[in-house]
Amino acid sequence: MTTVAVIGIGQSFRGDDAAGLEAIRLWESQFPETAHRSEVRVEASELPGLSLLDKLEDVDAAILVDAVQSLKEPGKIHILGESDLMSFASDSKSAHGWGVAETLRMMHLTQEKNPKILLIGIEVSQTEIGAAISQTVQAKLPEVCKIIQQTVLETLFA
Amino acid sequence: MKNIEVPALARVEGEGGLFIGLQDGKAVEIRLDIYEPPRFFEGFLTGRFLQEVPDITARICGICPVAYQMSSAFALENALGIKIHPQVRALRRLMYCGEYIESHALHIYMLQAPDLLGKESALELAAVAPDVVKNALRLKKIGNQLLKTIGGRSVHPVSVCIGGFYRWADKAKLQALLPDLEWGLQAALDTLKWSVTLPYPDLEIDYEFVALHHADEYAVIEGEILSSKGISLSTAEYESRYLEKHVRHSNALHGYTVDGGTYLVGPLARLNLNHEQLLPIARKAMEEANIQLPLKNPYKSLIARAVELVQAYEEAIELVKNYSPEGTSAVELKLKAGEGTGATEAPRGLLYHRYQIDDGGLVQFAKITPPTAQNLPRIEADLFELAPKIVSLPEAEATLTAEHLVRAYDPCISCATHFLKLKVEEK
Repeated sequence: MTTVAVIGIGQSFRGDDAAGLEAIRLWESQFPETAHRSEVRVEASELPGLSLLDKLEDVDAAILVDAVQSLKEPGKIHILGESDLMSFASDSKSAHGWGVAETLRMMHLTQEKNPKILLIGIEVSQTEIGAAISQTVQAKLPEVCKIIQQTVLETLFA
Repeated sequence: MKNIEVPALARVEGEGGLFIGLQDGKAVEIRLDIYEPPRFFEGFLTGRFLQEVPDITARICGICPVAYQMSSAFALENALGIKIHPQVRALRRLMYCGEYIESHALHIYMLQAPDLLGKESALELAAVAPDVVKNALRLKKIGNQLLKTIGGRSVHPVSVCIGGFYRWADKAKLQALLPDLEWGLQAALDTLKWSVTLPYPDLEIDYEFVALHHADEYAVIEGEILSSKGISLSTAEYESRYLEKHVRHSNALHGYTVDGGTYLVGPLARLNLNHEQLLPIARKAMEEANIQLPLKNPYKSLIARAVELVQAYEEAIELVKNYSPEGTSAVELKLKAGEGTGATEAPRGLLYHRYQIDDGGLVQFAKITPPTAQNLPRIEADLFELAPKIVSLPEAEATLTAEHLVRAYDPCISCATHFLKLKVEEK
């Protein structure tokens, strides 16, 4: 059976940046029979760099749920494969300024077995420190949950 | 050569830039520009119940949250006159071992080693030496696993409370980490051997070293505040000698001594002042590596971190083997008004907290002095000493050497930009 990690990425004190964290919490509460399967691991990652790398070990597939900013309308949902993500590489030289793309590069360089990666992104409206999630993004979370559920089931039974 | 300017420093925590103004081949102005905005943690601790403080202060840093939890917990316990259980003390030391492991492994291999090996980043290093980086990642991961086992989370753990821990860490889960910790000890010993072979730039500085010191152990969570000038203070006396001031170019405060001098905190200071308290394996490894103390080259703080990596693994193994929790994991709090100070050794150096609380346990005043704020003036002074050695180098090489010096400190700019007093003058 395929093993899947569902990983919410974001910072809980930075407005819409917490969308990924909130989305996986909501999905876990709405679809516990899927989220609590033995082949499924649900994780929150507040630091997308090296700590995310650890969470990508020992699974066949990883579904990342993250806030994204691409100047589209707030709340827009993006579905991105690994090749799409690599094009977002910031070329950061910092191990602290790393985003998802740099982490995936490091994964390929250091891990023998790499999971299949899919990212569900939610376009942000505001990411001020101390702000709550915007109403626009909050309203989109149920739809994100349905996409997470569908993606997990498709991955498990592919 | 024109001025040396690095608008955004790479491989440091937080956002800052570097400016070295040159005139007739001499450095006339050096600024470590800290433009990361302040976060006002001390301000929003005011009015909070004391039990919330360890979890709030942990959020100051994603690399050293345990340091902030520990300094705040000890300070508030001192305010209440609480003495913690010996097993709580041991578990706090073990938790700190986890933080030293993950922080030092990260800095040694991911942040500073690329400079010494002529690589732009850890990614470039991984491309040519994947096994080195794999081992580094495993070394770091074990530290995070230790933190998760004790603190419930590998980043921003949530188990520390005023008086102890919310619950004891699971003994079986800790013991299950022993094979990894044993592997880590060997890998740390290899790291130390490798660290002394690296090509460090030549720079010797006559520092005043300042660190916690404890006669019976390598001081991390408790001790007197010792200076290499022979001055020893209790934690409560810290502010009688170590002060902070604002400088125009920095959102972080700058530390200085009461007589206006700079001083150095961090791994070099700890190792130079406390090497006699190292555990046997760490001490033997240091002797076999022929490390001559005191180390005065700031670039060689990597070597000091490597010694401490061995020490942290060695101590973690000992503490896990001896872990035997009994009774309640936290003493009952009896609230009263008071003031307390706490100082522990964060991976980057001495971290001091002071709190005043009212009789309901609400924080009335908070002061946090992070290690990087204490080291910032020292980094600028080091750059002045480095400048004559690099002005004749090609610009790119000179810039890299200066930037490397800043990185060798492992500055945590995010931690340091913690407070800014705003003075509004109306005309």
